[in-house]
Amino acid sequence: MSTTEERLAARKRHEVEETVFGELDDRLGSSSFLRSAMDKIFPDHWSFMVGEIAMYCFVILLLTGTYLALFFHASSTPVIYNGSYHPLDGVQMSEAYQSTLNISFDVRGGLVMRQIHHWGAVVFLAAVSFHLCRIFFTGAFRKPRELNWTIGLTLLLVVMLEGFTGYSLPDDLLSGTGIRVVYSIVLSIPLIGTWLAYAGFGSTFPGTQIIPRLFVIHEFLFPLIILGLLTAHLMILWRQKHSDFPGPGKTEHNIVGSRLWPQYALKSAGLFMLVFAVLSALGGLIQINPIWLYGPYNAYQVSAGSQPDWYVGWLDGGVRLWPHWEFRSFGHEIANPFFPGVLVPGIVFTLMFLWPQIDRRIYHDYVEHNLLDRPRDKAFRTAIGAAALTFFTDLTLASATDLLGNDFHMSFERLIEILQYGAFAGPLIVGAITYKTCKSLQRTRAHPIKRPVGGVIVRSVDGGYHTLGDDHGHGADHEAHTNGHHTNGATTNGDSANGHTPEVVPSAPSATSEPGAADD
Amino acid sequence: MNNVAKKLRIQSVRALPRRGAALLFGGRRARVSGPALVISMAAVAFSVMVVSAGPTTASETSVSTAPADIQAGTILYNEHCSSCHGANGVGSVKAPELIDAGAAAADFYLETGRMPLNNPGDQALRHEPFFSATQIRQLVAYINNLGVQAGREGPTIPTVSPVCDVHGGAGNVASSQAGNYGFEGAGGAGGVLGGHGSGLCTTLAEGQQLFSLNCAQCHDASGSGGMLSHGDIVPSMKDSTATQVAEAVRVGPLPMPVFGPNQLSDHQVSALANYVEYLRRPADRGGLAIAHFGPVPEGFVGIVIGLFVLLIASRLIGTRE
Amino acid sequence: MTTTNDPSATDVPLLDDDEASAAEEYGRIHDQVHWSEGSTPQADDLWTRYADDPKRAKRSEYLIAACFFVAVLCGLGLMIVYCIGGQPQAEGTLLFFAFTGLGVGFVLTARDLLPGNDIAAHRHPHPSTPEQRSAVVEAFNRGLEPLLSRRVLLGSLSAAGGVFGLASLFPLASLGERPGTKLEHTSWGNGIRVVDRFGTPVKLGQLSVNGVMTVFPEGSIGDDVAMATGQTMLINVGNADFQVDPFHNWTVVEGAGQDMQRYVAFSKVCTHAGCPVGLYNRASRQLVCPCHQSTFDVLKRCNPVFGPASRSLPQLPLGINPSNEFISLESYQEPIGPGFWNRG
Repeated sequence: MSTTEERLAARKRHEVEETVFGELDDRLGSSSFLRSAMDKIFPDHWSFMVGEIAMYCFVILLLTGTYLALFFHASSTPVIYNGSYHPLDGVQMSEAYQSTLNISFDVRGGLVMRQIHHWGAVVFLAAVSFHLCRIFFTGAFRKPRELNWTIGLTLLLVVMLEGFTGYSLPDDLLSGTGIRVVYSIVLSIPLIGTWLAYAGFGSTFPGTQIIPRLFVIHEFLFPLIILGLLTAHLMILWRQKHSDFPGPGKTEHNIVGSRLWPQYALKSAGLFMLVFAVLSALGGLIQINPIWLYGPYNAYQVSAGSQPDWYVGWLDGGVRLWPHWEFRSFGHEIANPFFPGVLVPGIVFTLMFLWPQIDRRIYHDYVEHNLLDRPRDKAFRTAIGAAALTFFTDLTLASATDLLGNDFHMSFERLIEILQYGAFAGPLIVGAITYKTCKSLQRTRAHPIKRPVGGVIVRSVDGGYHTLGDDHGHGADHEAHTNGHHTNGATTNGDSANGHTPEVVPSAPSATSEPGAADD
Repeated sequence: MNNVAKKLRIQSVRALPRRGAALLFGGRRARVSGPALVISMAAVAFSVMVVSAGPTTASETSVSTAPADIQAGTILYNEHCSSCHGANGVGSVKAPELIDAGAAAADFYLETGRMPLNNPGDQALRHEPFFSATQIRQLVAYINNLGVQAGREGPTIPTVSPVCDVHGGAGNVASSQAGNYGFEGAGGAGGVLGGHGSGLCTTLAEGQQLFSLNCAQCHDASGSGGMLSHGDIVPSMKDSTATQVAEAVRVGPLPMPVFGPNQLSDHQVSALANYVEYLRRPADRGGLAIAHFGPVPEGFVGIVIGLFVLLIASRLIGTRE
Repeated sequence: MTTTNDPSATDVPLLDDDEASAAEEYGRIHDQVHWSEGSTPQADDLWTRYADDPKRAKRSEYLIAACFFVAVLCGLGLMIVYCIGGQPQAEGTLLFFAFTGLGVGFVLTARDLLPGNDIAAHRHPHPSTPEQRSAVVEAFNRGLEPLLSRRVLLGSLSAAGGVFGLASLFPLASLGERPGTKLEHTSWGNGIRVVDRFGTPVKLGQLSVNGVMTVFPEGSIGDDVAMATGQTMLINVGNADFQVDPFHNWTVVEGAGQDMQRYVAFSKVCTHAGCPVGLYNRASRQLVCPCHQSTFDVLKRCNPVFGPASRSLPQLPLGINPSNEFISLESYQEPIGPGFWNRG
């Protein structure tokens, strides 16, 4: 095409675009929003994408889940199996189990859909956990993002339960055993436990109501809640803009990255495709939850090696590790499963929900932050995080004591004892080591944030130039800096504590950027 | 035929001809009435039970009674076993008596290499067999003879019935009959389960149900093994032959309980053995099975492969600053 | 607004509404963070841009097209696989390559052919002006203040809210049966025969020494709840030294001395969290629960010796009827299974 033809084609295309956007604007007044949306900046750091990975896992779960729901029958009605899987030919089972077998063996593409769905849940929770750790260790939950932290934690809770209800739907021997344990945990709640258990299940265990009710919760209630919370999570993120690591040119008052359109949108779409790719590979090549080997659930049978999915593993491990204490008096009893099943997770999650408030008080830090911490700069918080991770790992290992015992030829008595001590000693030791490591890294002032050769020139409002020095960095010991550098309240005029005006200087060809008004 | 059946590599020794099976089950051509079928099934089951009740069954065993074998076995026993099991199998503080152990126990322990055991206190686990097939036959003959001499014979080597033909007709017919009795049982020892085979062959379905009730809690639903108290390991059955499974069920090698002929008929034991054979190469339609150990390795794979690969992808898409 | 074919133009139109100030700010910021002279972009930043290098851009375009072509081939492959009956591994692999092709294609497009990296923009301070904030408080108070003194109104509103709040909880009661004393009962009772999974009564001699069997009360087969609560482990402990309860002999003994066979029966529902306690270690005569490794010593009447269980498995009073069939003499003398508030 000649240049003239190209120009004509471009003009034609422009006219069409203007018409489309114009029609939209006539009705919605959308132009300003669309323009600012398309130019919205998102930082490019790779760890910021893990939340997106989680989101895309959720989208894939919705898609595959809808497909599965078209074939699944959430009913406990007993039927006789007569499908392609011959080792269960003629066996009595619930309709739920039978329909899952049907999906796995008799619906074309059904097994891949089912496995993508289950792997999607596993990877979803892995991504959410990693995302949670990233937020925690970089201090992204600080003002103004406490609300998003709360929403995110609620999402974690709901997604965990969504996963649990999901893999319990097929009513197989493995997941049914988990349901039995949940019934017992609910029973153990003081005062109201019996009523709650009977209300939830409709009757004495097992009853016929739990599968249809789990279906309603899993298909309808929780997805709605997750969608709602996720929307709120993203809207707040949109409004507040993403936080970012400190670096050259980055300040508390700007955001550096790619424009949403076309850069970030395409990268994100690419990530979506890659998430789908990985889940498809897992879903087709690595088997997950072969329910046909477990057989249908009934209350008098159980398989060795009964564990929940990994993200519930820490709860199961806690139940195995908790000593055999029960409290009985005056005709009443607080049964053993209550403590590791309700109390401990209650305390853990309460601490996590309250963490932004706790963190504020530890660091006497009440101002707004858009720049992230490096983990080493907040040694105590990082140590707490590492200790918590150790605790969860210890408990997750505890849920596999029979498997580990079989693999390593150790008795489960000894393993459980080790892990009981480890649940306390492990976090203390790891926490202490982490703290010391962070401190020594701070002292070395090793600064992985790359800087341009020659430094960055800064122009202050009165016209002077200077090179951005080390005080931009985060090598300082943050524990020592408390009240002196922080101002409460609005930072509308952008004054930084160091006294530099953070105005961006336009048009100068040489380097200009704002001095670091970051927290230190 | 679908992929599952192709993948089920079942070792049928003598599969019934299709027509014969159809007739036996009251197949497509000859429809027998429900109650009549139930009664005849019960009769078959009952006769099988009667015939197989008692320690020495009328069915064939492969235990040698030749004096030469017994003599050779005696020599082997005195050399390798008597130090713990005592002279003439009377037992000692280190090891139990073997007089009433039976040919099944001897064959099982020797063929799976569980015996000889290095330390009497250890749990006997599967090993490469120490003895050759001939030596095993001789030792088995010796142990069996001990029981015969003392009038206290232990269980003999069981014969495992083959699996019923899974192709088309027989399977469907059996399952269509299952609706007549399902769970409720039709009386008669051994009971009748969905998809019940005749005395001559067993179905995988009845094996699955027996396995789930009696075995899965220790050995795992997929036969991968587990853990008992006191550090006693429940072994995987991935290397077990049908005969070894049947022997173990009858013998109850420590710490396993004993399932005698009055609790599980020979037919049921065969069904179990055949199902365990199936579990050695089960229908892994979903792909790589990660040792059939359940959600723990699955979670590990999901994190270490799934999330890890995606983190690499993020690193490649995003920046490091 | 000028039309231009150049996608990297920084021409920013002024807009008339709230976002105008943002646009103004934006207009003052460079499209690129300029490094000081002599410096290079961060060494490991993978992003390069071929906007000024048409040859490399073209090469990149072909590479991207190849990625998309992989997706095309895999898509066709998927259609074929579906038509011939489907195969999970093939489906998974084809999906993987298709999505990877698309994903890599998108990412390369963004990286090589599109502008927009390393842009800085202003962050607006979040808090509104003090005037705006007090305006909100004032508007809110307009609705609240007139009513604060109206005690009758407030009182009746609270009463209505309270009552209706309470009433709205009532439909929850329809969710399930009333527990009553259901947790304390099973189907066992005086003279109820012990049956196996098929409903066949279990007779003396059926269980070998060191054998175990899962049994149920007669009449419960087919009733899920009755089987769940009534499930029992019948064990033949042979002549082992079983610690018989001094007040109740709930065991069945056959023979004497070395040949004695003692049959005992215990609830199979774990007293910790309700899993079936089906694992029998016949060497140490212990029942082990696979869920949380609670271990019960059978010879000491299933006293818990390890793990989180704190109560023994209830023992079933076992007897024999004239036909030598096992029966229960009474039901369990305590509620089976895990603890609950009113259990004590």
